[in-house]
Amino acid sequence: MNPIKLALTYLRIGVLNEMQYRINFFIQLLQSFISVATGLIGLSLVFGQVKKLAGWSRPELLAVMGVHLLMGGVIRSIIQPNMERLMDDVRNGTLDFVLTKPADAQILVSVHEFRFWQLVDVIVGIVVISIAFIQLNGTLGILQFFGFLSALIMGGIMLYSVWLMVTSISFWVIRVQEISNLFEGLYAAGRWPVGIYPSWLRTGLTFLVPVAFAVTIPAEALTNRLTGTSLLIALGMTLLFVVLSRGLWRLGLSNYSGASS
Amino acid sequence: MRRYIDFYLATMRISILEQIQYSVANYFYMIGMITEPVIYLVVWTTIARQQGGTTGGYTVGAFAAYYIIWTLVRNMNIVFTPFGWEWRIREGQLSMMLMRPIHPIHSDVAFFAGWKFVVILLWLPLAAILSWIFKPTFDIRWMEVIVFSLAIWGAYLIRTMLLSLLGMITFWTTRVSAIFELYFGLELILSGRLVPMTLMPVWIQDLSNYLPFKWTFFFPIEALVGNLTDVQLWSGFGMQLLWIATGIFLLNIIWNFAIKQYSAVGG
Amino acid sequence: MTPTISVSNLSKHYKVPERDGGMKAAVISLFNRKYRTVKAVDDVSFNIEAGEVVGFLGPNGAGKTTTLKVLSGLLHPTSGMVNVLGYEPTKRSHDYLRQVALVMGNRNQLSWDLPAIDSFELQRAIYSLPVSEFKKTRDDFIDLLELKDLVNKPIRNLSLGERMKMEIVGALLHRPKVLFLDEPTIGLDVTMQRRIRAFIKEYNQRWGATVLLTSHYMADVEALCKRVIVIHHGHTLFDGELNQLVTQFSSFKTLGITLPDPEVDLSQYGEVLTRDGARVTLRVPKAKTSQVTANLLSDLQVDDLTVEDTPIDDVIDSVFTSTKAAK
Repeated sequence: MNPIKLALTYLRIGVLNEMQYRINFFIQLLQSFISVATGLIGLSLVFGQVKKLAGWSRPELLAVMGVHLLMGGVIRSIIQPNMERLMDDVRNGTLDFVLTKPADAQILVSVHEFRFWQLVDVIVGIVVISIAFIQLNGTLGILQFFGFLSALIMGGIMLYSVWLMVTSISFWVIRVQEISNLFEGLYAAGRWPVGIYPSWLRTGLTFLVPVAFAVTIPAEALTNRLTGTSLLIALGMTLLFVVLSRGLWRLGLSNYSGASS
Repeated sequence: MRRYIDFYLATMRISILEQIQYSVANYFYMIGMITEPVIYLVVWTTIARQQGGTTGGYTVGAFAAYYIIWTLVRNMNIVFTPFGWEWRIREGQLSMMLMRPIHPIHSDVAFFAGWKFVVILLWLPLAAILSWIFKPTFDIRWMEVIVFSLAIWGAYLIRTMLLSLLGMITFWTTRVSAIFELYFGLELILSGRLVPMTLMPVWIQDLSNYLPFKWTFFFPIEALVGNLTDVQLWSGFGMQLLWIATGIFLLNIIWNFAIKQYSAVGG
Repeated sequence: MTPTISVSNLSKHYKVPERDGGMKAAVISLFNRKYRTVKAVDDVSFNIEAGEVVGFLGPNGAGKTTTLKVLSGLLHPTSGMVNVLGYEPTKRSHDYLRQVALVMGNRNQLSWDLPAIDSFELQRAIYSLPVSEFKKTRDDFIDLLELKDLVNKPIRNLSLGERMKMEIVGALLHRPKVLFLDEPTIGLDVTMQRRIRAFIKEYNQRWGATVLLTSHYMADVEALCKRVIVIHHGHTLFDGELNQLVTQFSSFKTLGITLPDPEVDLSQYGEVLTRDGARVTLRVPKAKTSQVTANLLSDLQVDDLTVEDTPIDDVIDSVFTSTKAAK
């Protein structure tokens, strides 16, 4: 089966499913507003003290917050639900149902679940980015826009790959739920540009959990900080993460089939 | 009384035995949680450095001390959640608890209290590592240590009461996650979890004086890392006791209604 | 003497919110809810004497579990009087809870990650049992259920049946005088069911405990209960001795016949239920049994003939189907 068609089918099912619980839309909206509000309070506390934080102005940090929100919505609507389900499937042995289907298993486990209402965060994120952009009096050139978009997509792919790698560990270590908690904690660091962190943490946030690529670099694109070099590095890293995660997934899968037969 | 002591000890023993089996999982959980204060710490020390070493009376080292102690207090603040109540009612576990000749809240308090001992033990090496990285400055008197070690348990009990009260809502309706989120948002701002309360605008500080939140976060931390007088220390602890008593009082009233509701609609 | 359990005119009605699908209806229902009343238990009365083991029968949703929960104090009756051991269960007084136990086949109380022996210690504290008495009871139970090698293993490593045995031990450590068992053997294999049954019987005989039990497995009821109460749609259909149920509700008997000639048509004698080679089972009206038997023996060459009451399962089945038809 065509993987794109497959993904779209699951997407449709997910949307139909979630439409039944429309109250969740309002709950999600409220949650997004609460996180925007606390974010704004955090920013105003910071800028009550200083004019710039590590070289970033207030509207620039607002843009970072918007990207963080947007990417968080993507993680919670698509990446995390699928990976958590995968962990459950591995533990309960129900992954067999997936493996017996005539499609690429990695694609299947990655498109199974879809939390439609979490996309509210994506919308709210875009709104926040727009407001930040207006405050910056910026003009969005076509080149800049594509820089932003490609950085965003590559960041998303990297986050997915890291999640998949972490989840693949569940083939060996059963209790990995806490790893997803750890991941959430680290992702929260993306609320601020990674440049402010001490170097050891910055390295971790760049290469282990690519928050830097997922949030800071797209935000750099919006605030005229992005260089062609960092975009190229992002491309290289994306490819590396995709290949690595595919490899680890395969290895885990062969381990799983070996253990269950 | 002896009966309750026996029950508490037995439950705490069970929970310690259980949680030791999950040390690794507990560690992952704690490490995941540590990123939050580290983020705040990095932001505020950056600001303090930009301003020549201090912000709002906090030096870089004082911020480090605040947020390192923060990690222990945060762990003490972990209690049975409203989501847990929802699950407990849905799965019928509450029915089994109600068949025992002991109040379910006692089970929760005892179980999490046992867990805390494991958490404190696991926290010590983490605190050592964080101290090595962030170089906190402490100026501690022995009275502060005494009040702090009482206040973290006070914080634990206040938060248990608050979240149990919140959990009672699930007896009537299950769609309450929005209310919980609102609560957690308020708590973040009004407790000292985000920043030391003294950095907050004055009106928020005033507001927080009339609410229980700051006694679960800011006060215990401040008791150890701040420069409170003995009178301030003990009156703060008195405030904690007051909030605990208020919590028990409210919980008793609402519990009766909740149980009436539960036994009317089934379990 | 007052009965251990007395239930008179017990009713339990639920109000269930009723609403149509769709957003509009959902919003409307926030302000103006419509309710429908469900009568889970409707005017049920019975008494149970100390030491009795009573089977509580009925299809899913008949009101069995609701009744058990009312007796346990988890549910308030809508109307009617309930008294157990002289207590009003709804008050949930600790003295009352100390003397009863509710065991549900699909709920667990013991800590998943710890050996049962640790969880038993917690039960001791919950019920504040004297240590020596607790140890004796515990060891007795462990012997009776042959759990000696398993009590030191974490519950998660036990089989479903072993786990259920542990749950039962845990639930009975305080030696309750009254036992409410809701599907205690559900999902277990036959051997395990038998083991648990034997234990309940032993417990009942040794301590003189009163037991009220629901089960889907008639074997449980046949082995344990002299008396059964059958409820359906919240009403009592039958309350009496198990074998009386058979006589009252089964107007048929089953004849098992083995013939040398498998081709013979027996339909003129009764309803043919099964035919397996030379073995035929026939259903005949009870009043006609002796006559049909005589006829068969005189008309045909019969190798073997047995007369049996209808299996209890079928009787219960016919009780429910007959009332359904009557409605």
